[in-house]
Amino acid sequence: MKKIAAILLGIMMVAGVLTGCGKNTTNDENGANQTTQEAAQTAEATAESTDSNTTALSGELNLYTWDGMFPQEVLDGFEEETGVKINYSNFDYDEDMLAKLEETKGGDYDLVIADDYIIELAIKEGLVQKLNKEQIPNFGNINPLFQSQFYDATNEYTVPYGSGIPLIVYDKEAVGFEIKSYEDLWNPALEDNLAIVGNYRVIDGITLKTLGESFNTEDLDTIQKAGDKLLELAPNIRLISDSNTQDYIVSGEVSAAFLYTSQVTQALEANPDLSVCYPSEGLGFGIMAGFIPSQAPNADAANAFLNYILQPEVSAKCFESIGYYCTTKAAEEFISPELKDTLVVPDTVTEGEIIQNISQEAEDLHSEIWKKFQEACD
Amino acid sequence: MVPIYLFTILFVIFPLIYMIVLSFMSRAEVWGVVMDFTLDNYKKILEPLYLNTFKESLQLAFLSTSIIIFIGYPFGYYMGQLEDKWRKRMMLLIMIPFWTSSLIRLYGWIIMFRSNGVLDMVLMGLGITEKPLKLLYSYPAVATGMVYALLPFMILSVYSSVEKMDWSLVEAARDLGASRTKAFWTVTFPLTLPGLMSGVILTFIPSMGLFFIADILGGNKIVLVGSVIQEQLTKGRNLPFAAALSVILMVLTSILIRLYRKIFHTRNVEGLV
Repeated sequence: MKKIAAILLGIMMVAGVLTGCGKNTTNDENGANQTTQEAAQTAEATAESTDSNTTALSGELNLYTWDGMFPQEVLDGFEEETGVKINYSNFDYDEDMLAKLEETKGGDYDLVIADDYIIELAIKEGLVQKLNKEQIPNFGNINPLFQSQFYDATNEYTVPYGSGIPLIVYDKEAVGFEIKSYEDLWNPALEDNLAIVGNYRVIDGITLKTLGESFNTEDLDTIQKAGDKLLELAPNIRLISDSNTQDYIVSGEVSAAFLYTSQVTQALEANPDLSVCYPSEGLGFGIMAGFIPSQAPNADAANAFLNYILQPEVSAKCFESIGYYCTTKAAEEFISPELKDTLVVPDTVTEGEIIQNISQEAEDLHSEIWKKFQEACD
Repeated sequence: MVPIYLFTILFVIFPLIYMIVLSFMSRAEVWGVVMDFTLDNYKKILEPLYLNTFKESLQLAFLSTSIIIFIGYPFGYYMGQLEDKWRKRMMLLIMIPFWTSSLIRLYGWIIMFRSNGVLDMVLMGLGITEKPLKLLYSYPAVATGMVYALLPFMILSVYSSVEKMDWSLVEAARDLGASRTKAFWTVTFPLTLPGLMSGVILTFIPSMGLFFIADILGGNKIVLVGSVIQEQLTKGRNLPFAAALSVILMVLTSILIRLYRKIFHTRNVEGLV
C-alpha cells in the first residue's frame, strides 16, 4: 500500500515539474480531436449562416491572438453593440498560431491577429480568406504607411493593428555616455549591463545594420560576418529575454536594454527619466495585423469586429492599452496628449525595414549564429 | 489489464513511434513536414555546435546530480530513521512546495538572487560584500535552480529504501565488531543503493531537459538540449530536427541508465527501469 502511495506521489511530483515545460505538446492527438470538433463546428456554422440571412449578426466570435491585445471595454462594447459573444483565446508564439491553423485547416477561429512575417506564410498556405470590405466601411481610416506591405501587397487580406519599432532604452547616468546607434551597444562601458530581446532575426538584424546591410540579406557570407561581430557583443550581455524585458532596466538590473515597442512604452511609464535612442543606422519595423482564416465559422462577425476597432475613438483606446504605435491614422487625434509621443509614429519615420521571410539556408545560418552567441554569453 | 495496454499504446508507444518517424522526415518549405526520408537531421546533430550543447547539458546534469546526492542522501537517510510522527511531518514539509507551480517557485529565486535582492541585502548588511553581486543569470544560479527543483526526488527515493531497511542487519554487523562507519559502508549503503540510484535517474534525466530553469535563472545564456528542442519547435519551425534531438537525448539517457546498472551491479533500481 505504502509503495503504491509513494509511486503515486512520485508521479504527481514529476507531473508538477514537467508542467513548466508543457508548452509544446505534440500536436498530433489534438489534431484528431480538432477534426471532429471542426466537423461539428462547420455543421454549426452552416446552421448559423442560414440564420444570419434573417438577423444581421449572431453567434460567437472566436478571436485568437496574444494575451492582452484588447482592453476589456472594447470587447464589451462590441458584444453590446452586436450581440455577438467574443471567445478570446491566446497564443505565445506566432508559430503556435500557424500550427493551430494548419491543424484546423483554417477553421475554428474567426479572427487572428499576428505578426507580419507569419501572415505571409499563412496566406501562402491558403489559410486566409479575403476581407469583405463592404462590411468594413472604416477601412479608409488606416494609416497608409502600414499598408501594401510584403505580406499583403494589395491590402485584400489584412487590417494592421499596431506597429512596433524596437529601440534602445538606457539610463544615461549609469551608462555614462549617449547611445546614438546600434554600434554603441558594443561599447565596453556596457559590460554585463545590457538586456536584449530574444528574437534572433532582430538581434542578428541590427548587427547587419551596423555593417550597413539589410535585415533581409540572403548572402550567407554577409550573415556570417555579422555573426562574427555579434560574438563580440557577448561580454556586454547580462540577459536575453522576450517577455517583460523592460523590468530589468526599470529595476536597475541592467543600465541599457534593446526592447520591443510595448516594452519601451512600459519602461518609460515606470521611469520617465530613462532615455530612448532611435538608432542612426536605420529602424526595424514590425506590423501586427488581423486576418480572417479561410474556414472561419463566423466571418461576418470578424469583418464587423475589424470595422468596430477601426473607429477612431475605439482604435485610440486600443492603442493606449496595448502600447504599440497607432496604425489607424484617424485615431491619432483621439490619443491622450501624454501618450502621443510614444504611440503616434514620429513624422521623421518615413521608412523602416521590415524583417521578412528569407531563404531556408539564410534562416538556418541565423539560428546557428544565435546559438553560438548564446553560448558565448554564458 | 486491457486499459493499461491501451493507455501504454496510446500515450507511450504511439508518440514514440511518431517521434522516431518524424525525425527521418524533411521540413516543408513553409510549415510542417514532408515525407522525404533523410538522415540530415542526425547529421546536423554531429556538428560541433550541437554536440557542444549535449556536452554542456551533461556537465550541468552531472554537477547538479552530484550536489543533489550530497544533500539528498543524508537527508533521506536521517529522515528514514525518524519517529513515525516526525517522519510524517517531514514528508508534509517536503510535499507542500509541490502544491504551487514550479515556475512560480523559480521566480522566488529571482527575488533572492537579483541585484539588491534578498541575498545581496543580507550579505551587504553583514558587511561581507560591499556592492551588489551579480548572482542572477549565471551558471551557479542555474545549478541552484536545478538542485532546488529536483532535490525532493532524491530525498524521497533514498527515504523509501532506508525506511524498508532491516536495521537488525546493521546491529548484527556492529555485534560482530564492525565500526559505525564500516557497518554503514558494508551494510546500510549497499542496501540503500537502489534508492540512491533511482534518485539519480529521477534527477539526472530531467536536469538535461528542464530548459525553463536555464531560461529563467540563466537569462537564456545557458543553452540546454531542452532549450534547443523548444526553439526548433517554435521559432525554428523545424519539427524533424527537434524530433531527432529528442531521439538522441533518449538514446543517451538509456545508455547512461545501462551504465549505472553495470557499474553498480544492480538490476533493482526501485522498479524504475
